[in-house]
Amino acid sequence: MAKNKPIKEEEFKPKGTAAVLAIFMVALIALWGYVYYLLVSRGATI
Amino acid sequence: MSGQANTRLHIDAYERNWMIISVVLLVVFVTAVSVAGFMMGINVPAPQNRVNPNTVAKEGPFSTPGLRELGGGKYEAYILAGNWKYDPKEMSVPVGSSVTFYITSSDVQHGFKLANLETGEATNLNVQVVPGQVSKLTIKLDKPGTYQYICTEYCGGAHPTMFGTLTVTP
Amino acid sequence: MAASNYEMSATDKKFIAWHMFVAVAALSIGALFGPLQAIEGVVPNLYDFLKPVIQSYYQGLTLHGVLNALIWTTFFITGFLTLTTIHGLQRPLKYPKLNYVGFGLMVAGLLIAAVPILLNQASVLYTFYPPLMASPLFYLGLTLVVVGSWVEGWGFYFTYNAWRKENPTARTPFVTFGGLITMVLWQFATIGIAAEILTQLLPWSLGLLPGVDPQFARTEFWFTGHPLVYFWLLPAYISWYGFLPKQVGGKLFSDSLARIAFWLFLVLSIPLGFHHQFVDPGVPPLWKFIHALLTYSVFFPSMMTAFTVIASLEYGARKNGGKGMLTWIRALPWKDPSVAAQLLAGILFFFGGIGGITNASYNINLVVHNTAWVPGHFHLTVASAVTLSFMGISYWLVPYLTGKKLWKPQWAVIQAWLWFVGMLIFSNGMHTLGLLGAPRRTPLGIAPYIPDAWNGRLLQNAFGGVILLVAAYLYIVILAVTAFNKNGEKATTQIPVAESIQDPAASPAWLDKWMPWLIATLLLVVIAYGPQLVAQISSIQLTSPGFPYK
Repeated sequence: MAKNKPIKEEEFKPKGTAAVLAIFMVALIALWGYVYYLLVSRGATI
Repeated sequence: MSGQANTRLHIDAYERNWMIISVVLLVVFVTAVSVAGFMMGINVPAPQNRVNPNTVAKEGPFSTPGLRELGGGKYEAYILAGNWKYDPKEMSVPVGSSVTFYITSSDVQHGFKLANLETGEATNLNVQVVPGQVSKLTIKLDKPGTYQYICTEYCGGAHPTMFGTLTVTP
Repeated sequence: MAASNYEMSATDKKFIAWHMFVAVAALSIGALFGPLQAIEGVVPNLYDFLKPVIQSYYQGLTLHGVLNALIWTTFFITGFLTLTTIHGLQRPLKYPKLNYVGFGLMVAGLLIAAVPILLNQASVLYTFYPPLMASPLFYLGLTLVVVGSWVEGWGFYFTYNAWRKENPTARTPFVTFGGLITMVLWQFATIGIAAEILTQLLPWSLGLLPGVDPQFARTEFWFTGHPLVYFWLLPAYISWYGFLPKQVGGKLFSDSLARIAFWLFLVLSIPLGFHHQFVDPGVPPLWKFIHALLTYSVFFPSMMTAFTVIASLEYGARKNGGKGMLTWIRALPWKDPSVAAQLLAGILFFFGGIGGITNASYNINLVVHNTAWVPGHFHLTVASAVTLSFMGISYWLVPYLTGKKLWKPQWAVIQAWLWFVGMLIFSNGMHTLGLLGAPRRTPLGIAPYIPDAWNGRLLQNAFGGVILLVAAYLYIVILAVTAFNKNGEKATTQIPVAESIQDPAASPAWLDKWMPWLIATLLLVVIAYGPQLVAQISSIQLTSPGFPYK
C-alpha cells in the first residue's frame, strides 16, 4: 500500500473542539436519559 | 487516478476518538431502547386486521364501541374515532386494571394519547389512528384519577375539541 | 485549490438572485403566521378577529408550513446550489435555458398551489395526510415545484459532466461536490411523494379514484419526508464546511472526512422513513426497529460534521489569538453577521440534534409522538440550523449578487441574536409543553382540556414567537434595503471558499467515484423498504374517500 506523499500539515490539535463536544455529549446523555426515564416510568404497552 | 488509488485516508486522532465515542454512544442507546422494548414490554403498535372505514361503524366490533370486561382485572376498549369525537367519550375502570385499546377511524386520520393532563402524569398510550387500520396497545392503569384521551392529529377545524375521559377509580 | 477568482456573469447572478427573491418573499408571508399561532395560546379568540383575511388557524398553519418548510427552503437551496455549481466549477451552466425552465416550473407550481391555499380549499398542512382532501390544484402545484427542482438539478449534472470532460482527473471542488450529492439525494427521495401524489392524491381529488389507502400514503410521504430534512440540511453543511472556515480565517479541518460525511448522507438518508411512523398501526414493529437502527447510523455523519466543522473554526480562532479550552470561541469573528448567524445556528442545532436522536429512539417515540415537542424539535433544525444558516449565507450572497455592501451589518448581527434568543425561548416552551402532554397542530387556546399548568409555557411561546417575528422582518428589511436601495454603497464581495488543511488531491480517489455510492444507496433502500413496500402495495385497500374538512 503506497504511503501518503509527505504533506506539510500544520501541528494543530483540536482540543477546544474536544471540550465543546464533551459538553454536547453530557447534554445529550442527560436529556436523552430524561426522556428514556419518562418512557420507562410510564409502563408497559403490550 | 490510478496513481492515487492507494492513498490512505488520514484521520486526526482526536476525530477518530470522537467517532469511536459516537458509535459507542449509539450502541448504548440501542441497547437501552431494546431493553425497554423487548424486556420491559414497552413496545409500539403492530398491525391488526384491516377494517373498512366506510362500514366499520355498522358491522364488526366497532359498531358497538366501548369497554368490555374480560375478568381478572382485564378489559378491552373498542374506540371509534370520527367526526371530531371518540365513541365512547367516557369510560371508567378500577385502579390496577389492564386495558387493551383497539382504535380506528371512520373518517380521517386522528391521534389518541392518554394522560392525566391536570397532574402531568402520562401513560405510554400514544398512537396514530388511521382509517382502514386498527391501533392496538395494552396498558395497566396503576394510578387513580381522571385521564383524558386527546386527538393529536389535525383532522379538521374541530380537532382541538376532540377528547374523551377515562376515570380510574380507586 | 480554492476557486475564488471566477467572475460569474451578470445573467447568472440575476438568475440566482431571482431564487433568493422568491425564497425571501415566501418567508415574509410564512413568518407572519408563526407568531399568530404562538399568541393564540394566550389570546384564544385571535382567529375570530383575523377572519376577513385568514379563515382559520389551519389555513394559516398550512401557509406557514408550505411557505417556510417547502418554498423558502427549496428556492433558496436551488439558487444556492446554482452558485456552488457555477462558482465551484468555475464555468457557466451548460444549458442555462434548461435551468430557467426548471425555475419557471417551480414558480408556476407555487402560483398554482397558492390559489387553493388562499381560498381555504387546501388547509391540509404541509404533510397533506389523506383522507383530508385538498383541491387538485394544490397537489398539482406542489408536484410542479418538485419537478422544477429536478429539472434544475439535471442542469447541474450536465454542467458537471461538461466540466469533467475538460478535467478528467481533477478532484471535484468540495462545494460543487456537496451540491451534486444534495440534488441526487433529493431526486431519489422525492420519488415517494411523487408516487403518492400522482398515483393516489391527484387522481383521487380529481374524482378519478374512489378512494385512497391512507396508511400507504403515509409510507410514501415519509419515504420522502426524512431525506427532505437532509435536502434542507446539506446546503447548510456545504456552507459550514466549504465557506465558513474561510470566513473565520481558518481552514477546513479535513477535506476527506467532509466528503465521506456527504457520501454517508446520500447512502443513509432515505432508508429510514419509518421513524416518522413508529406509532402507525399498519407498519410492523420489526421494520420500525430496523429503521430506528438506520436512523442512528445517519446520526453518525452529523457527529462527524460537528467535529470537523468545530475543529475548522477552532483552527481559525487560534490563528487569531484564541486561547483556552473554551474561551477560544470568543476569538471568532462574531461581528461578521454571516458568521454570527451560522455559529448561533450551530448552537441551536446542538439541541435540535439531541431532540432528533430522542425522536429516532424507537419506543421513546411513545412519549413525544404528535406532541408539541415535535415542532419544538424541528424549529431548532429546519428553522434554525437551516434557516438561520441560510440567513447568514445571504448576508454575503446578496451583496455578492447585487454588487452592494450589506446594509447595517451591526443590525444584521443583532438580527441573528434575536432569532437565537427567540428560538431558545420558543423551542424550550414547545419541548416542555410536549412532555406535559400538549398536542401539536392544535390551537391550544380553544382546546377545552388544557390545564392551568400549561399557561406559563403558552405565554413563553407567545414571547418567543413575537421575538422571532421581529427577527424575521429585520432580516427581510436588511436584505431589501441592501438589494433595492439605489443609493446604497457599492462593494465587491468575494465568495469565501475555504481551503483545507490537507490538500484535497491527497485524499483517496475513491472519494470521487459515484457508482459504488449510488449502488449502495439503491441497495440499502431496496433492503430497508422493499419488503414493506411489497407488503403494503399488495394489501392496498383504496377505501378512504376524500373529506374536504377545513
